[in-house]
Amino acid sequence: MNDLNDLNGLNERALKNLNESKPLVEIQAVSKSFHKTVKESTTELKALADVSLSIRENEFLSIIGPSGCGKTTLLKMIDGLIPYDSGKILINGKQISAPGPDRAVVFQSFALLPWRTVLANVEFSLELRQLAKEERAKTAREYLHRVGLAEFENHYPHELSGGMQQRAGLARALAVNPAILLMDEPFGAVDAQTRQLLQEELLELWQRERKTVIFITHSMDEAVYLSDRVVVMTPRPGRVAEILDVPLPRPRVSEEVRRDTKFVDLTNYIWESLKKAMENHH
Amino acid sequence: MKGGFSTNILSLLSLALLWEVSGRLMESTLIPPLSQIGAAWWKLLGSGKLLANLSLSLTTLAIGFSLAVLVGITLGLLMGRFRAVEHFFDLYVNALMSAPTTAFVPMLILWFGLGVESRIAVVFLFAVFVIIINTMTGVKQVDNVLVEMARSFGAREKEIFFKIILPAALPAIMAGLRLGMGRAVKGMVTAEMLLTLTGIGAMIMQYGSSFATDSLFAVILTVLLVALLTMKAVQWLDRRLTGWKAEIAIE
Repeated sequence: MNDLNDLNGLNERALKNLNESKPLVEIQAVSKSFHKTVKESTTELKALADVSLSIRENEFLSIIGPSGCGKTTLLKMIDGLIPYDSGKILINGKQISAPGPDRAVVFQSFALLPWRTVLANVEFSLELRQLAKEERAKTAREYLHRVGLAEFENHYPHELSGGMQQRAGLARALAVNPAILLMDEPFGAVDAQTRQLLQEELLELWQRERKTVIFITHSMDEAVYLSDRVVVMTPRPGRVAEILDVPLPRPRVSEEVRRDTKFVDLTNYIWESLKKAMENHH
Repeated sequence: MKGGFSTNILSLLSLALLWEVSGRLMESTLIPPLSQIGAAWWKLLGSGKLLANLSLSLTTLAIGFSLAVLVGITLGLLMGRFRAVEHFFDLYVNALMSAPTTAFVPMLILWFGLGVESRIAVVFLFAVFVIIINTMTGVKQVDNVLVEMARSFGAREKEIFFKIILPAALPAIMAGLRLGMGRAVKGMVTAEMLLTLTGIGAMIMQYGSSFATDSLFAVILTVLLVALLTMKAVQWLDRRLTGWKAEIAIE
């Protein structure tokens, strides 16, 4: 009996290792252009060129780059909101073409419905998944509690601060229990103090929920603090300039990590890398 | 809000006073004193004539406006959502929106005769275009980020329409109904004066031509009251449905 249990345990561990080595999201040589027509002359705008990237399960990956490098476009393509011209995006080995229940987006502008209360906003994502009414409310309350908004469920979005609105946006995304959380500069629209607070809360949540996170940002500091790996992108058309490992131990305590020489060095290195990418562009 | 209300009352009282005094001073049938109009109004009310005509008029208004709401919102939603539908109709809608609707009355008589159908048609034509245009504009102004969000969480077209587009466009739709209601009241009186002499319109014509200015004013004031009350009713509905929007405006 004991032997059998051991064997099972071994198998499970082996399976887990296999999962961890196998990428969850694979982006293979993806390119995307937009066509803009102004008075009969169509100009082609190359947004992304030949982007390849793989993201492991449970990884926290940030993508950083100057404005207009196509990082939001890339995120929308991973979500399945917009099609790509060439290449492939695979999730669990399957090519994606539309949004699916394994992914959820946290939007930069929060994208909350102003006519719904915070609770009803979180329930929105569950309504679309055809959950029963009581189940919806229960799950939504649970996630509001996790993001610290339990007392604000009956408030309307405009009654809340930006930081609280984004907490609601995060609860809405987490409520559908996606494997992959796609975050599009989620803290770009809140003030510096709130931003740091939200980063800490996000790390805590991520450690508990073990999701794969793809996080778009233009803050070097934020990318290094949160991520396992940071992808640096070039200006338009966006390409992968560099992929950097973040060798900081977890759990990360904000005040300590930010003073760590490794943190400072890496942030400086990313800045140099971004600068180089911009100079090459001009 | 409270200050506004008491200023309203003050304004009404001063106008009433000015009217009463100038009416008495001029001793002319052109401007009878307000008290005399009040007496005429009371008599009209007592004889049942005013209420009978009013209910006739309001029935026309209710049917015509309901049809305008039904057609206006439906067409507006379709035009706002589908380019092809917009291009198909927008020429006519824009032309008819600013055209003097009264000009169509002779044609309506030919089509519908002199009965209630014609009057309903006039009310309908007065109200429908502003409802169409407001609804369409409301749909087109819906924040695309919200649609994208819904799509990202797996919403289908039907869900996007009912859970995003419709509630987001509701404030604009309600504004259209408010404007449409005002136009519908105009249409109601116009139809009764130009088509067949019935209802409130008939009373206006009758008292006007017989110089019964006190009764004439009594009827006109009744029309104003109807316009005000119907408008308030739409406003009340608007607040019930889009309270979240009003709160945003206050902030």
